[in-house]
Amino acid sequence: MQASRARLFKEYKEVQREKTADPDIQLVCDDSNIFKWTALIKGPSETPYEGGVFQLAFSVPEHYPLQPPQVRFLTKIFHPNVHFKTGEICLDILKTAWSPAWTLQSVCRAIIALMAHPEPDSPLNCDSGNLLRSGDVRGYQSMARMYTRLAAMPKKG
Amino acid sequence: MVSDSVAAVPIPSAANTKNPGKKKRTNRSAKLKQYKIDARREQWLNKGAVKNKGCKDGMDDDVHVPPSSGKHAKQELEKLETRRRGEEDDVLIHQESDSESPSNSPVSANSSVLCGNDSGTNFTGSSSSGGSTSSSSSSGGCCSGNITEEEEDEDEEVEEEDDGCLDDWEAVADALAADEKHQNSSHNEPAVETDSSQSREVTGGSGLGHPNSKPGSGGMVPRGSANARAWRADDAFRPQTLPNLSKQHSMPNPDRFFGGGGPWCRTSVPSNCPICCEDLDLTDTSFLPCNCGFRLCLFCHKRILEQDARCPGCRKQYECEPIETEASVHGGSLTLRLARSVSMIERNQYTFVSINVKAGQ
Repeated sequence: MQASRARLFKEYKEVQREKTADPDIQLVCDDSNIFKWTALIKGPSETPYEGGVFQLAFSVPEHYPLQPPQVRFLTKIFHPNVHFKTGEICLDILKTAWSPAWTLQSVCRAIIALMAHPEPDSPLNCDSGNLLRSGDVRGYQSMARMYTRLAAMPKKG
Repeated sequence: MVSDSVAAVPIPSAANTKNPGKKKRTNRSAKLKQYKIDARREQWLNKGAVKNKGCKDGMDDDVHVPPSSGKHAKQELEKLETRRRGEEDDVLIHQESDSESPSNSPVSANSSVLCGNDSGTNFTGSSSSGGSTSSSSSSGGCCSGNITEEEEDEDEEVEEEDDGCLDDWEAVADALAADEKHQNSSHNEPAVETDSSQSREVTGGSGLGHPNSKPGSGGMVPRGSANARAWRADDAFRPQTLPNLSKQHSMPNPDRFFGGGGPWCRTSVPSNCPICCEDLDLTDTSFLPCNCGFRLCLFCHKRILEQDARCPGCRKQYECEPIETEASVHGGSLTLRLARSVSMIERNQYTFVSINVKAGQ
């Protein structure tokens, strides 16, 4: 408990210090609970998610650096490895391939990478996975772009 | 059958009627948080837009953007060019990096390097509108590094941002600059060459690039001579970026922002454990559990061994790993350190062997 707290404090400081370092990631700690974080990530360019801002919810376990944080999308996203309803993310580094040397910031980076390179062979969103697996890249892209527009773009006016 | 279904119906409905009341309360706080996050996103996006414009006015608008990104770019630059500007910058940066970020997990070190690069390119992108030469800062290579006037100005802005001991450093720098001129005129080259032969080895080993091999120092006439010589170990002008054998133990991590990443970054001794952030004591610092060079405290190591027993740095299993000395190509200082840790591991193996022998007898 103490170790995870110390570690999270350090990450918090790091985030405060390097706020402008990574323009695609905004990590925000909950005001009252250091085990709850929110991240805003920009959709990577040249993907259907470009221009969208996606919100992630982090729930950090008690044994944090040894156990991975739980992350899910709060913004709706059409992606083979993200559950369409719950926002759950299928990413190996959040499960078996987690390393204690990773940080919340690096998890965000990994998720951005996942957005750019979907893995249709282990889908959480079967519709999206099937589109890609059947080779309908255009179908996948237009669906993903539509949901990016609907859910992840700031509403004007 | 019918009565069953009828009886079953009211329960969920009751639950449903109860839930909204509770939900409302939680919803309110959730909404508040969401509102905050939305505001932040708005702010962030605006900032990004301003940044993308790349005009100087925009950068002046929010004061916090240029200094920190500039700082990264500057740190890159400071590493790239061996030394050209006043020493106060070097010292200042290292004080900062020492005090604020004494630890380095490989990922964070790499990430910060990455960030440095990112912001570096951003920074040059925005500053090139004023335009002379900014190509040097975006390159990750070792020895380029002309600093433009403009960037120097930025640096001065950064300095103004940093409060505290700055005035003193400026004064010291003035004194040093005066002293330097004196030295340059009085020293004759051969003496310096012989003096600096030792430190030069270290310089080469660190991969910083030899001052003499620097291609583009033409623009800087007044300090050209200062650039062309190496530093003695006790030289006051010796940049802090050069690894100093005697200092390696006291300075937590002089090469945190050093470009390139790779094993070299990892093998430097962090001052606290990247996993639990506790300070590393003497036993911990001489403890090298994995040949990828990822260090951690014994406590965390034990906890990891109890779980999946994989090195956090490279995700390989901790045991049965051959110790290679490949990394020795990276420089004299590293081989020294490796040799020490290897010897410790060997010692452990010896003890194991002796125990086994005893058991066999």
